[in-house]
Amino acid sequence: MPRNFIDEHQIKLTVNDKIYIDAELYTGEKFTMLEPHRLFPVSGLMKYISLIDEEGNEQLIIRNVDNLLPESKEALLSCLNERYMIPKITRLVKRTEKFLIWMWTVETDRGEFTFEIINSYQSIKILYDGRILIKDGNDNRYEIPDLYALDKRSIKLILPDV
Amino acid sequence: MCVVGDLKLDGKYGESAILICADRIIAVNPQLPDEGLMLLFEDIAEAKVKRLYGNAIFRVKKCDGQTVDLLRFTYSATDLCDAVADFITKVKDGSDIDEQLEVVKITYNNLRCFCPKCGRKLASPEADCMNCKGKGKMAEVLFGYIKPHIKMLIVSIILSIITTAMALVPPYITKMMVDDIIPNKNMSMLIAIILALMGVYLAQYGLGALRAYLLRITGDSIIVDLKKDIYAKAQYLPMKFYDKTSTGSIINRINSDTTQLQNFMLRITQEAVVQFFLMIGIIIIMLVMDWRLALFSLIPVPVVALLSRYFGKKLSPMYRRLWRRSSSISTILADTIPSIRVIKSFTNEKKTIDRFSKYVDDWMREDKSAAKTASIFPNAITFFVTCGSLLIWFIGGHYVIEGKTDLTLGILVSFISYASMFYAPVNFFASLSDSYQNALASTEKILDIITAEPEHNFGAGNAPKFLEGKVEFRNVNFSFERSKKILNDINFVIQPGETVGIVGTTGSGKSTIINLLMRFYDDYEGEILIDDINIKDIDIDFFRSRIGYVQQEPLMFRDTIFNNIAYSLPGAHVDQVINAADIANAHTFISRLPDSYDTTLGERGVGLSGGEKQRLSIARAVLKNPNLMIFDEATSAVDSETEKLIQDAIDQVIRGRTTFMIAHRLSTLKKANRILVVDKGRIIENGSHDELMALKGKYYKLINIQSMSEKVAADKEAENFE
Repeated sequence: MPRNFIDEHQIKLTVNDKIYIDAELYTGEKFTMLEPHRLFPVSGLMKYISLIDEEGNEQLIIRNVDNLLPESKEALLSCLNERYMIPKITRLVKRTEKFLIWMWTVETDRGEFTFEIINSYQSIKILYDGRILIKDGNDNRYEIPDLYALDKRSIKLILPDV
Repeated sequence: MCVVGDLKLDGKYGESAILICADRIIAVNPQLPDEGLMLLFEDIAEAKVKRLYGNAIFRVKKCDGQTVDLLRFTYSATDLCDAVADFITKVKDGSDIDEQLEVVKITYNNLRCFCPKCGRKLASPEADCMNCKGKGKMAEVLFGYIKPHIKMLIVSIILSIITTAMALVPPYITKMMVDDIIPNKNMSMLIAIILALMGVYLAQYGLGALRAYLLRITGDSIIVDLKKDIYAKAQYLPMKFYDKTSTGSIINRINSDTTQLQNFMLRITQEAVVQFFLMIGIIIIMLVMDWRLALFSLIPVPVVALLSRYFGKKLSPMYRRLWRRSSSISTILADTIPSIRVIKSFTNEKKTIDRFSKYVDDWMREDKSAAKTASIFPNAITFFVTCGSLLIWFIGGHYVIEGKTDLTLGILVSFISYASMFYAPVNFFASLSDSYQNALASTEKILDIITAEPEHNFGAGNAPKFLEGKVEFRNVNFSFERSKKILNDINFVIQPGETVGIVGTTGSGKSTIINLLMRFYDDYEGEILIDDINIKDIDIDFFRSRIGYVQQEPLMFRDTIFNNIAYSLPGAHVDQVINAADIANAHTFISRLPDSYDTTLGERGVGLSGGEKQRLSIARAVLKNPNLMIFDEATSAVDSETEKLIQDAIDQVIRGRTTFMIAHRLSTLKKANRILVVDKGRIIENGSHDELMALKGKYYKLINIQSMSEKVAADKEAENFE
């Protein structure tokens, strides 16, 4: 089945239910309760958003969120922000290790939280653009947008693991 | 019961909770209207966990169509909330409340499987904590490998002490020569002393050679033990470990990390002991010769100790980073070298080289940074040590020139010799931190494998005399990662000898059902029973030995065809192997090969076609005469003619055995007694071919789609022939 790439100017998006969105095309075709999924949740946050219906079938793909009309962009970003929870770490408060399990207490843009990292070699990844992605023992994700923008103590604590 | 979530409804960290009673659910959350909400089960149309990315929401759909979010949480609470949602659904539908509560309790207990001592997560409530069994302690682990060779090491240490003591003799003789023998022109004494010195040197270097030999043998034995243990441990690690750890990283640990550790262990057990005795011996001699000069020569020691501590701290993170880079290189190697065919076929050699170069350059960058610190360190130490020698020359020379003390030139020269010998052990202990930090990084990686939780064999020794082959899945739920549930409430019973087809679209969970049955993954919820015994209570080796498993992509070892078939039954008689090959329709093609059963297969079975390899893999499975047969899309990668040959082989093999067949081509399942249709992790249809066709559900649709595509293919083929 050919993918339904949609011209960003020919679609109107409105929030349906926090994580769901309704879409109306220029042609008058309407879709309800679509779930936006990033096709590149790591490498391209604003590109290629797949809109999936309740049956799990992809209905539309938006190539670039930035090209949407302002109201539609706002609606889509609001849904994406609800769905994708990757807290951004702003400070490493505490880092302890016992039997190769690391406990990190961090300050994030969503508040303070403590999590464990089972295998630091597999769970902490530095990306090509300098971002650091962390996956905890429960498969939750965290991000450090720029290690060197953190305070000196946090850098010192994190540096050996990256 | 109560479930506490770790997020507020707006996605910020914070606590909220739901309280579940026999007939209602109460949500307590500051972001709900009136900070709470109570809903009767009878008002709830559906309760479910909606998995998002990095978090999930417990939502209920009310009978009036309104949807309400009651709880938000990170993935840590998803399994429990899944169980609660099932509880509500089933209790509402009239299931026994105690029975359903028990299911939630099991889920909760599985989540609470922590070691009470160290807090590490355990595979099950009964599992031993590997860390608290003492294996996690680095020193204990290392000593475990040194212990069997302790005698050798003691002999080696004694030899070291003797050679060290001998090394202390020449400077003293220098003093005798400078002060007595040469000024008194005592020729006979000079010859005697030189001969004695020669004897000392001969013994020193002779014993040194013997010691080096013993050390090498011992070191090699230690590393062999370590490598064997890591490899053996790696064999028993659960599939989950391999899902998350790259092969390259494991190879790196078995090869280079063990060598790193061996070097360090030998340094600690040998050189450290020798250097310690040497240091004490020299201090005593120096104090006896001249206590004032001896105290002066100790001045650089605290500086060296402080420097050592400072550099040690700097080096530790560097070596950890260096290990990561080195592990990445191994991962790339393990990834690309076996895939050389793919690389060549897509002419991606240049890209692969560039990628490898990037990783090697990364390593180089880290190594440069570590090398800088590691090079400054010993030279800084040597500088302070040399300054110490200059101090002794200055003060000692002053005493000799002034002649106010009994310090002679001979004693001073001899003292300087001892002083430079004294700084060697000081230097050694200072630089020990460098190799310690390096070894520490390696030890951590090795311990990662050695202390990892192995596959648990709770039913060790429990091998039922006979397995009839009744298989039951009871309320089985499973997910590889908490972000996505793979199997959802799987329930079915298969009677002994039945042939069961499992069908469904790609990613529906068919193979996962088989993976759980094979006990590749044990951390599922619910129970899997064979002949009414939980498979976890049966000896894992025995259990797997009763299953014949044929995969979609059969893997052959670099060995003869005979050994590849006999792999499932070591020591199998030739007749048995030929018989198995015959049943699998493989004997004919094997006998036509020039070297027949002695044909050595290349890596991954190169040299045979896909269908031939598949038939060898069926022969391998048949040879052990299993009670259960599993075919995981065994015919999906072969042409129609080969499929027929394989299908004939399968028909022979499955007689009288409970058989699971995952098949891509549904036509092959017509003979199955029963067909399970899996969709999005659930069994949506269960019945015979005819029953499911009459049902006109998913199976019916799949059959129709496939019949149509087969017809189109047949028409095209016919057209081409014309």
